[in-house]
Amino acid sequence: MTTTMAAPPAVAGSGVDRVDGRLKVTGAARYPSDFSLPEMAHAALVRSTIAAGTIVRLDTDRAAASPGVLAVITHENAGRLRKARRNMVYPLPTPPLQNAKISYNGQYVAMVVAETRQQAAAAARLVEVTYDRDEPALHPRDSGAKPRSNPYFMDMKRGNVMAAMAAAEVTVEATFTTSAQTHNPLGPFTTMAHWAGDALTVYDSTQNPFLVRAMLAGSFGLADEKVRVLSPFVGGGFGAGLRSWPHSILAALAARTVNRPVQLSLTRPEMFTGIGRRPTTGQRLKIAAARDGTLVAIDHYGVSTASMSSDSLYPITIGTTAAYACPNVTARDKRVRLNIPPISHMRAPGIAEGNFALESLLDELSYELGMDPIELRLRNYAAVDPQTGLRWSSKALRECYEAGAERFGWAEREPAVGAMHDGRWLVGYGMAGVTFIQNHAKCRARATMRHDGTAHVCSGATDIGTGTYTVMTQLAAEVLGLAVDRVEFELGDTRLPRAPEAGGSGLTAALGSAVHNSCVALVQRFLGLVSNDQKSPLQGCAVGDVVASDGRLARADDESRGESYAEILQRHGLDELTADGDRAPPRAAKGVLVGALAVSWLGRFGRELVDASHATIPASAFGARFAEVRVDPELGILRISRIVSVTDGGRIVNEKLARSQLIGGTVGGIGMATLEETATDPGSGRVANATLSDYLVAVNADVPDIDVGFVGEPDPSNPIGAKGIGELGLVGVAAAIANGVYHATGRRIRSLPITIDQLL
Amino acid sequence: MPETTRGASTEVDVTLRVNGSVRPMRIDSRVTLLDALRDQLHLTGTKKGCDQGACGACTVLADGKRVLSCLTLAAQCDGRAVTTIEGLSRDGGLHPLQQAFIRHDGFQCGFCTPGQIMSAVALLAEGRAGSDEEIREFMSGNICRCGAYPNIVAAIREAAEM
Amino acid sequence: MQAFQYIRANDVASAVTLVSGDPGAQYLAGGTTQVDLMLKDGILEPDRLVDITRLPLRSISRDGDVLSVGALATMEELAADVTVGERLPFIREALLASASTQLRNMATIGGNLLQRTRCRYFRDPLVAACNKRAPGSGCAAISGAARMHAILGASEHCIALHASDLCVPLVALDAVAHIEGADAQRSVPLTQFYTVPGDRPHVETVLKHGELLTAIDIPLLPLGTRSGYLKVRDRASYEFALTSAAVALTIDDGVIADARVALGGVGTIPWRAPEAEAVLRGAAVGAQVFLAAADAAVHDPFTVPGTAFKVELAKRTLVRTLETVMEGSA
Repeated sequence: MTTTMAAPPAVAGSGVDRVDGRLKVTGAARYPSDFSLPEMAHAALVRSTIAAGTIVRLDTDRAAASPGVLAVITHENAGRLRKARRNMVYPLPTPPLQNAKISYNGQYVAMVVAETRQQAAAAARLVEVTYDRDEPALHPRDSGAKPRSNPYFMDMKRGNVMAAMAAAEVTVEATFTTSAQTHNPLGPFTTMAHWAGDALTVYDSTQNPFLVRAMLAGSFGLADEKVRVLSPFVGGGFGAGLRSWPHSILAALAARTVNRPVQLSLTRPEMFTGIGRRPTTGQRLKIAAARDGTLVAIDHYGVSTASMSSDSLYPITIGTTAAYACPNVTARDKRVRLNIPPISHMRAPGIAEGNFALESLLDELSYELGMDPIELRLRNYAAVDPQTGLRWSSKALRECYEAGAERFGWAEREPAVGAMHDGRWLVGYGMAGVTFIQNHAKCRARATMRHDGTAHVCSGATDIGTGTYTVMTQLAAEVLGLAVDRVEFELGDTRLPRAPEAGGSGLTAALGSAVHNSCVALVQRFLGLVSNDQKSPLQGCAVGDVVASDGRLARADDESRGESYAEILQRHGLDELTADGDRAPPRAAKGVLVGALAVSWLGRFGRELVDASHATIPASAFGARFAEVRVDPELGILRISRIVSVTDGGRIVNEKLARSQLIGGTVGGIGMATLEETATDPGSGRVANATLSDYLVAVNADVPDIDVGFVGEPDPSNPIGAKGIGELGLVGVAAAIANGVYHATGRRIRSLPITIDQLL
Repeated sequence: MPETTRGASTEVDVTLRVNGSVRPMRIDSRVTLLDALRDQLHLTGTKKGCDQGACGACTVLADGKRVLSCLTLAAQCDGRAVTTIEGLSRDGGLHPLQQAFIRHDGFQCGFCTPGQIMSAVALLAEGRAGSDEEIREFMSGNICRCGAYPNIVAAIREAAEM
Repeated sequence: MQAFQYIRANDVASAVTLVSGDPGAQYLAGGTTQVDLMLKDGILEPDRLVDITRLPLRSISRDGDVLSVGALATMEELAADVTVGERLPFIREALLASASTQLRNMATIGGNLLQRTRCRYFRDPLVAACNKRAPGSGCAAISGAARMHAILGASEHCIALHASDLCVPLVALDAVAHIEGADAQRSVPLTQFYTVPGDRPHVETVLKHGELLTAIDIPLLPLGTRSGYLKVRDRASYEFALTSAAVALTIDDGVIADARVALGGVGTIPWRAPEAEAVLRGAAVGAQVFLAAADAAVHDPFTVPGTAFKVELAKRTLVRTLETVMEGSA
């Protein structure tokens, strides 16, 4: 592939097959549970059966005497584990097994280490725990619940909502609830830990190996360099791997205690308490408009649950401030701490829930006004970021609506409720719009050209199925002018250059930019080598003067004059050449949020501050979701028959993989809308459906044809022009489905999941 | 008299025929076929997704039929022919289904993939790939949390047509 | 799960003798219940496990108007049987709506009949209040997160659901279970095989410890009978029933000459509905009759907040099944 450094990349890029595809289809890809070492032992966990209280007695004698048992560890003998440094977005866990206090049902109270996994599991069942039970707070209205308003300091406002509401011609108002959900990646989170002296190595299921490293280093009082975390393949994350979890600490503790490598795999029931969850939310939303559909005010208030000991940054309502050109908006959050397991980000955290409410109530408004739902969105199209007044880096949401409507056949919609049917089935069409603010992060990558003309590029990021291995290989190949199979991309190791989490949909932009920069820097190093080299046709060239293709650099003004990388290395007696590249997010990225907060709090003065500080470009990905639903009105059965999902993701580096991300997000959205709910036993706080047959994720038969499209242009906010699309496929799906249900049945369902009992 | 093993021992002598190889072993009676494949035989291609028979990630072929190896005791499989994902490709070449999965991107994280493919191999032998609807229904015992279902169906459809 | 002794049985008689004589011994067939409850949930802890999968109890054969099914025939094998396809289509429908192909390749007919409830209060040994596991300890499900639970044959002692799809048409057909005991053989109609929990939920069937199901005799439906099985569930596949119904109707000139009705998803045991049959028998086909039959079938339910919706849903499921059987499709 030929490229000059300055050529603008096309939007829809090559659908190269995954470079790790062969490993995955042959079972050769190694996930954390696939690694073993000689003498490896196994750990099994014991969890509390109460949600609040204290341990008064632990009987471990039977467990300790059980065949094959090497150690039984409880708070009585675990020793002190320190709490690692604070992290506001992804809080590190309370160190496990440090005291007798219980804060949620499922908290670890003991660990058994044994020769075999069967022996460890059997012995764990023999640990007897006696509790002094307190009455738990499991519901926001329970005494003992700990509410806090504006918990993340991200409440936002603009204009004067109260006055605007009072003067408005039309107002709609409703409350919405969404259920707790559990990520349930198919790969149970596993840590395999081993010590060599005071150096610790772990294989771990994570989306952020550097955070795991920080947690383990902090827990055991080690320097970061003494801890290595490896995660070349992960069996899915969906946000669960953005935080680090106590089981990883316990695996390392077990390994140190028995002085052998130890594997600790969470059981599937433990995956319901040990790796976080989406919170339960309740939202009150009020929208006021003029008769012609112009929005005049939005008041969005959201309450979400959290655990007693820590909670992730999880604002629900903040997305509403960016979505539409409405002059008066308040977005307020409240968080209630309960005796429940920790919350962690789950695909499009906060945005998914807030969007459900906003896009459902807008749909209600459209019927109230007798207006087409798309027309209502377009009438209030935010051509600039409505909170700060700054121009978007790029925005093709209008094109999303247009292309989506056309692909879906929206024009065939009969607007009247219940007008469309197919035999017994009532048919409904619903749509929703999506605004998904970009996440910017720092990242470093390293590119090495080897003497055989192949390149090795690396960074400590993870690929949780998004396709990082492939996309980065393509980007490097593109810049360096190599065939894709001449580039090897390595990731998932804290010994590699530092990368951010595979989360917030930020990795492609961050890592892609770092990879791009490292490859450009590598080319610069080559040019630097030959800058005084009379023999080289490239002598004196700068990066902008050359093109790279087929492993060769050539003069842009005369491509017959050039040299291969291999030739240059050989002539200079080098085995390889390496360069690092960094991506530092524009200060503007923080500036935009600060700017938005400033505008919220300080009004016009805030806006002047923003202008003065040159806080620049808000960046967002956008989408439009269309769903055709069928409802059997007698039996209450809801089936999704068709989905069209169009996204503005800026430059799409690999259309095949991007399409898969959008499909996957859509399937997650179908689950959120119609199936998924983490059920809690009201007395004990126990998760009552902690299996994959009781907790319902979408199965193959639930998923119809999903038509995915991409619109837009490369985004200028990063050198590769990409916007993050890993999460937003899920956003909008629940509202599109709920709106379709209304169109079909006349019933407005404001509580997720939409189950049969709600439709009977 | 029923066959017993070594008096009151809780160990069992089992001979598995895995991917054409005869593999005798002496194991704890509790060891599932899945654990025997992964821990005893180091064939880690078959994955443990739930260990409770709900997700299908552990699907292998036993005497040609698709079964869940996590709910089968290794002891029950004495003498039976077991095929795992490692046994699917011959001489380093890929089975048509494996090729189709790559072409259609029938996976993302890849954890469910060996189970999907083994299940699909059996699906084709059962003659249940006559329509997309049939494929979806009879592949519903294999959960893909990444949601690659439409691509999985496309891959199976293509392989069925070959 | 503590270690156990694994024994492979070679013949029926010695297997039955062994298990009957040892309270710590249990049978192992397909494993989809036994291995699940032992190793995964940890609520069964036999000292000895007798593997019966190689016993010669697998044949499916027709003898006149009866299909004789060996207890070790698998669900897939029964679903593929020609006679089932021709003469007992609602059994085929119920089987193919069950579980997944993998599970149907493993699970035996005997095991399906003897499956234990899916109730997550029963299946968690750390839940103290479960009358089925620990008689007299109470029922935590009643005040808990109940949804996949029973409303018929239920009480404050137990609301555990019998979740088999296959058993629904089987009880409708008056299938007969053949049992081999240490001293004697006996045959019990399936409608008498299960015991409603009452105040003794730990007793589920008439089987004594060590008795082995060897075969099920299924009377064929008369030629010309229409039958259907409808399963209603949240997701499109691979889930137990919220409600289901098995219906077989013999129609004579617009009049229902005979009716077999059974309900699934709602009973603590597979639920034959003779009250519905009585309403239907002799009546002319019609919407009002179907509604009346449904009301008769779902009478005196015992509900908790999470299962209350099943009363109406079960009735509508039965009505829909009757309608679709009459329309000729299911």
